[in-house]
Amino acid sequence: MTQIERGAPAITLAMIGTWLVFASVPLWIEKVGLYQYLGVEILIFATYALAYNLVLGHAGLPSFGHGAFFGIGAYAFGLAQHHVWPNLWFCLAAAAAAAAIAGLIVALFISHRRGIYYALMTIAFGQVFWFVAIKATSITGGEDGLLKIERLPVTAGFASFDLKSNVALFYFVLVVFAAVTVFLWRLVHSPFGRVVKAIKQNEMRARFVGYNVWAYKAAVLILSACLSGMAGGMFAMAQNSAFPDVMSLHYSGYVVMMTLVGGGLVSFWGPVIGAAAFFLARDVIGAVTTGWMLWFGLCFVILVLFKPEGIAGLFQGYMRSRAAPKNAPPQPAPTSVAR
Amino acid sequence: MLELLPHLLNGIALGLLFSLVALGFMLILGLMEQINLAHGSLFALGAYFAYAVCAAKLPLPNEAIAAWAAVPLGWRFATAIVVAPILVAPFGLVLERLMRRTYGRDPLYGLLLTFGVAMVLEEMIRVIWGTRDYMLPVPNDIGGGFIMLDLIWSTYRFWAAAMAIVAMAGVWFIVERTRFGAMVKAGAHDSEIVQALGIDLTRLRVWIFVLGTMLAAFAGVVMAPLWGIRPHMGVDAVVPAFLIIVLGGVGSFWGAVIGGLLVGMVVGLSAAYASEWSMLSMYLLLIGVVAFRARGLFGKKSVLEV
Repeated sequence: MTQIERGAPAITLAMIGTWLVFASVPLWIEKVGLYQYLGVEILIFATYALAYNLVLGHAGLPSFGHGAFFGIGAYAFGLAQHHVWPNLWFCLAAAAAAAAIAGLIVALFISHRRGIYYALMTIAFGQVFWFVAIKATSITGGEDGLLKIERLPVTAGFASFDLKSNVALFYFVLVVFAAVTVFLWRLVHSPFGRVVKAIKQNEMRARFVGYNVWAYKAAVLILSACLSGMAGGMFAMAQNSAFPDVMSLHYSGYVVMMTLVGGGLVSFWGPVIGAAAFFLARDVIGAVTTGWMLWFGLCFVILVLFKPEGIAGLFQGYMRSRAAPKNAPPQPAPTSVAR
Repeated sequence: MLELLPHLLNGIALGLLFSLVALGFMLILGLMEQINLAHGSLFALGAYFAYAVCAAKLPLPNEAIAAWAAVPLGWRFATAIVVAPILVAPFGLVLERLMRRTYGRDPLYGLLLTFGVAMVLEEMIRVIWGTRDYMLPVPNDIGGGFIMLDLIWSTYRFWAAAMAIVAMAGVWFIVERTRFGAMVKAGAHDSEIVQALGIDLTRLRVWIFVLGTMLAAFAGVVMAPLWGIRPHMGVDAVVPAFLIIVLGGVGSFWGAVIGGLLVGMVVGLSAAYASEWSMLSMYLLLIGVVAFRARGLFGKKSVLEV
């Protein structure tokens, strides 16, 4: 997995550019009439959507119950902090581990499924976890949620940084986001990633070539669940609480919407664009009218109908039309592979 | 054993209602192989329209409203049952129009599209009616309760179950005993041949979709007095619906009915022991069945497995 495919450097210009743009956000976000917490929310959900896209965009597996992993991560973060050891790294690891275990359980049942059946089974599992979160009141606090989750300080041996302010938390989340982007970028361009891509294109062929398709599909789901859980843990920290809401079918659908609107099917960065678009739409449209989801939903419907490649697809199409000289022979159709 | 009888009876009634909610979903999925996640929102829309008709909260001149409000509740309720599905039908028409672009593509696009439409419809309901709960009043003749086997039963639940049986019989008749049903089934089996025979499959599909939509709305009206009317009732309805279909097997009418009855009985019986957790039992039932029988109890091979 350490071997990197040729032409795909470990750290790209686009990656550094994205980090720099995000790093500058706290400097100007309040000047354009928004607020610091929004940046934290966007980054956390961008991390979550990137992790989700490993399943949807890269492996072609439509999970509709991913909110469960995000929520389990959030609860695990809070529970680990309350009952075990209030240390940031430990709690984040607990969030990731709990979500990975949940992912493993789900993967055991559904990894031999594809397409719509995969979607339906993930909905069923998502509902199970959501239902348990609501009903296990003594552990999760039921519908009231798990409260008093603290923003733990970052400890690194000798020094420790406080994350109480939204700006400090933003930079911490940015570091995690950066780590996740490097990891996922390397993963999807590794031999492992290539097999996953092959499974997306033709599962049967991949099986006949000799790959253990089941194991690859399970691994993708577990990894994605693990990273989603980590994002969930950060979200619990940002919100100072964990709620069952994020585990509902609605929220599971939101991450699908973010990923698709941004263009996760064709672009590695699609989910990040989508998460930003989602929250900006919520705040900007929400400031003008009450039913912001009505308009975002309509945009989503139009995108699914006419441009499933999303915003990144629109951008790529524009770049191609600019790059292609007039009267040039027609270009081969772009492959639907995330890069 | 005898003390479980009321729970079993309750479960059967509940199962019939679940099957009713799933019926239109099954029709569209079974005959067109399209997952309609907006089914729940159409269901909710039916309930809201029924409320508007029943409670006389319509966008009409004041005199007309007053005259309508003076009509006995029984008549208003009966009208709502008929009118609400008709009012919701155009939404199905528009949805089919949109979905037409996804036919022949990965069924995932249909799923995503209908999910988006469900979001839009739910938000529309919130904008129009607000987030508060409504109750659909039931006429006295079919409301209230009675005592049987030492338990208090809601009379309406049995009326609703009876309406569910009527609707299911109607769908069975259309699909299994009419020329329309035969053409539709043939079209689902091999669309090319059917079109070569000169049958307008596009038209047929519109009709199935409208029928499925009206069934969703009808189920919404029937369930409204039991579940209450609130914006997210659509999701509450669509999840058990798809669960029943997957459990019973996609494309099988009797699978959907038996799946519904099974879910109802499991929920009803588990309510006897752990009422808080009873809804969880249906998910566990599904996961248990599907772990061993991938296509559900009576499922056939379908394009959805690709």
